[in-house]
Amino acid sequence: QAKEFRLGLITPNGHSWNKAAIKFGDELKAATNGRLTLTVFHSGQLGNEPAMMQQLQSGALDMGFIQAAELGSRVPHIAAINAPYIVRSTPAVAKFVRHPAAVKLFEVLPQETGTIGLGWGITGMRAVFSSKDLNSLADIKGMKLRINPTPVYRDFYSSLGAAPTPIPTPQVFDAMANGQVDGLEADLEFSWNQRFDKVSKVILQMNAVFMPMAAVVSGRVWQTLPAADRELITKTIKTTLDAQIDELAGNEPALIENFKNAPIPIRQVPAGDTEAVIAEFDKIWLPKAPVLAELRKVGATL
Amino acid sequence: MITSAAFVAIMLVGVPIGLCLCLAGLVYIAASGNPVLFQSYPLQLFGGVDSYGLIAIPLFILIGEIMNGGGITRRIVDMAMAFVGSLKGGLAYVNILANMFISSILGSATAQVAIMAQIMVPEMEKKGYDKTFAAGLTAYGGMLGPIIPPSVMFVVYSVLAQVSVSDMLIAGIVPGVILTVMFCLVIALMGYVYNYPRADYQTPRQRVMTILRTSPTLLIPIVIVGTILGGLANATEAAAVGAVAAALVGKYWTKEFEFSQLPQMMLRSGIYSAIVLFLVAAAAVFSWVLIFGKVPQETAAWIQTAAKDPVSFMLICNVILLVIGTVIDGIPGLIMTVPILLPVATDVYHIDPRHFGVVVVINLVLGLLSPPVGLCFFVAAAVTGAKPGKMFMVTLPFFVISCVLLVLLSLYPSLSLILVK
Amino acid sequence: MPATRAFSVRRMVVRASGALLAVERVALMGLMYLLTALILLNVITRYARFPIYWIDESAVYCVVWLTFIGASAMTRLRLDFAVTMLTERLSLQHQKIAKVISTGLVVVFGVALIVTCVLWMDPIGLARAGFDGRKLAAETFNFLYTEHTQTLNWPTWVLYLTLPIFAVSMTVHGLANLLEDLELVPRTPPKGFSLSELDGVN
Ligand code: NA
Ligand code: NA
Repeated sequence: QAKEFRLGLITPNGHSWNKAAIKFGDELKAATNGRLTLTVFHSGQLGNEPAMMQQLQSGALDMGFIQAAELGSRVPHIAAINAPYIVRSTPAVAKFVRHPAAVKLFEVLPQETGTIGLGWGITGMRAVFSSKDLNSLADIKGMKLRINPTPVYRDFYSSLGAAPTPIPTPQVFDAMANGQVDGLEADLEFSWNQRFDKVSKVILQMNAVFMPMAAVVSGRVWQTLPAADRELITKTIKTTLDAQIDELAGNEPALIENFKNAPIPIRQVPAGDTEAVIAEFDKIWLPKAPVLAELRKVGATL
Repeated sequence: MITSAAFVAIMLVGVPIGLCLCLAGLVYIAASGNPVLFQSYPLQLFGGVDSYGLIAIPLFILIGEIMNGGGITRRIVDMAMAFVGSLKGGLAYVNILANMFISSILGSATAQVAIMAQIMVPEMEKKGYDKTFAAGLTAYGGMLGPIIPPSVMFVVYSVLAQVSVSDMLIAGIVPGVILTVMFCLVIALMGYVYNYPRADYQTPRQRVMTILRTSPTLLIPIVIVGTILGGLANATEAAAVGAVAAALVGKYWTKEFEFSQLPQMMLRSGIYSAIVLFLVAAAAVFSWVLIFGKVPQETAAWIQTAAKDPVSFMLICNVILLVIGTVIDGIPGLIMTVPILLPVATDVYHIDPRHFGVVVVINLVLGLLSPPVGLCFFVAAAVTGAKPGKMFMVTLPFFVISCVLLVLLSLYPSLSLILVK
Repeated sequence: MPATRAFSVRRMVVRASGALLAVERVALMGLMYLLTALILLNVITRYARFPIYWIDESAVYCVVWLTFIGASAMTRLRLDFAVTMLTERLSLQHQKIAKVISTGLVVVFGVALIVTCVLWMDPIGLARAGFDGRKLAAETFNFLYTEHTQTLNWPTWVLYLTLPIFAVSMTVHGLANLLEDLELVPRTPPKGFSLSELDGVN
């Protein structure tokens, strides 16, 4: 029978996740001659991610694009995907999230969160924007660094000797401009939109962590759908997310070119001297999320 | 439809406005045939105030309490009077100019009204102004907060619209200055019509003495601005630092503040903040049910059929945003409207997103000054005891002149874009 | 004696409301002190390069609790704003009726909020699951008792408790106000609040 789905996500209009959500709706509509339609609620219009999760669980909201940080704060098993140096470049991220090992993480979602995971979407590898000179990981020591406050990132940047400082997203630009923090970490797409290069002296590409998003469906809603519709939804979301992943990875060189044309240098972390950091991180996280060992093995092959 | 009808009906019986919004939300859910939403209802109420940006409100109200209790505000006004002198309506100008300066520190209209109403209104009343006018004028001064940079609303907009924060902040400067000048002109006109009080005549020597005598009070704004510019703190944290500075100045310099007064000041700040914050929570629930029911989406679709060119689109947007602004607070208002209206504005009518942002923000802020909800009026009323409804009538000229600015902006986008490279 | 019993129920409501208000008064002061202290601590520790990770989150939740506790207190203090355009033009008798209706709707909201909180927090289901949040989640898809906040790592349901508390205290205050509006009990002036400027806002 006909059904109108609601999909919620936190990112603003024009973000590549939002474009993917709209495209997913269009394709669903086309494939069913308008029987299945989708309304996208951008920018956290239905509430922040915890509120969307609650609505997904109760069945008020049908679908969501939920960041790994939110799912990871509920399930350490999922948080493993945020661990540093599983992969070391955005093209590798693009391969990794489609690997069966990454997709298999979703198996715990129904029991732990009441949602069904259908696939990952991505943002690029995160970089550190700093108001003091940075050449290597060692230089991060002692920095007051604004981070995404997910526990995995906190442990990672703490192990580098930074003082992780949670500052709400809307205040980050000002905090950088007036020196409340010495640096911030973010993905390049968001950083370019916010022009963080204008309040920084140097950009250091960490090639360590990235923030993927999971396309999830409410478990309650999923139970009510006929098998054919479930299959169609799964297939359609996969092709849309594939396109999102390829497009984002494909756009990264142009984005880096933008930053190279900005008057501040953009540098890379030397590939060596990450072993100690990984060891220290895994000491905390392997007991919480044993799956991390497998993810590292898979990442190393890409 | 049922939601709006329920809202108006219970509002007219005299149910408190926050509760009207909450009850209308419940009525909508009951009528929507989607009872599972009842389970999300409490969490949405919680989520409405679960936001870092709102912490500033109690802290700035607290500064106002301490500054009043310590006799600091009276001295600041004395000093301002020494500058403005014996102009007709001198204190009214002081009010608007002080608001202009404070707005370059604060980004929130409600926080600004909370602090300025506590400072200005009792003093204006003492000097012979009508309390309702004084409170209403201060509420309009609060409009400058989100327009003159820095501004939380512009920052939120720039995140929603994916435009540069610095571009947005610069775009607000010219409209902010125009608005200040227009407000001063209105005061001049009203000053003759209502025969505003003049300040007492002071000799130049008296003025210099007053300024010297009162200058230590400037320590508090200096501490607030200094901690922000020095990178010690953001505006919210600077409010806490400013409260400490105010307590110390009040205790050791003016000697009118005692630490034993602090518990009562904390209590009053807590209650006044709750009055404002509960309205924010209620508005968030209300906007959530509207969004869930796709009311904004359908409105945007209708605008596209009705507006033939960018100017008529902007004018329709002005009306709609103003209406939304009357019941929904600034930031929830942005989250509700920008994701839906902005793509139409840029893709269909080729309007610059930065210009659109300036217009949206001014509209939503003006909504804070319109009945029935008009949060800024309620804040001014909460801290001064004036009647919100009467305040609107008295300040109608300011409302009209603000609408004139909006029409000007709709016709001449260059007003906001001139300084943006 | 039914008359006495009815009277004692009325007195109980007013007393309960008074006791709640006394607690709310202390809580509001405490939360304001706590909020100021947390924010100052944040400035100091960040300046000293030892930023404390959970302060922002604590300050936000402090303000959330302040909101709902204050909203409950202001109901009893009759400080919340209403539109009086229509009601102030009515005759004294009709004004009283409007007042009773609007206070009655406060009670209606309080009760409705209790109902939505029960639907959301499902205390009966939780008791049936032996107070095991994970078991409740498995049975009902209600994951409320399995969640933790991001930086404080507190169970979120503890923080959400402010809503059921608000719902109950709002109902009690609403009933006390209603009894006063129906002139079944005399008006009691609140103790310990010096809000002179605000008297008679509503
Ligand atoms: Na400002
Ligand atoms: Na409003």
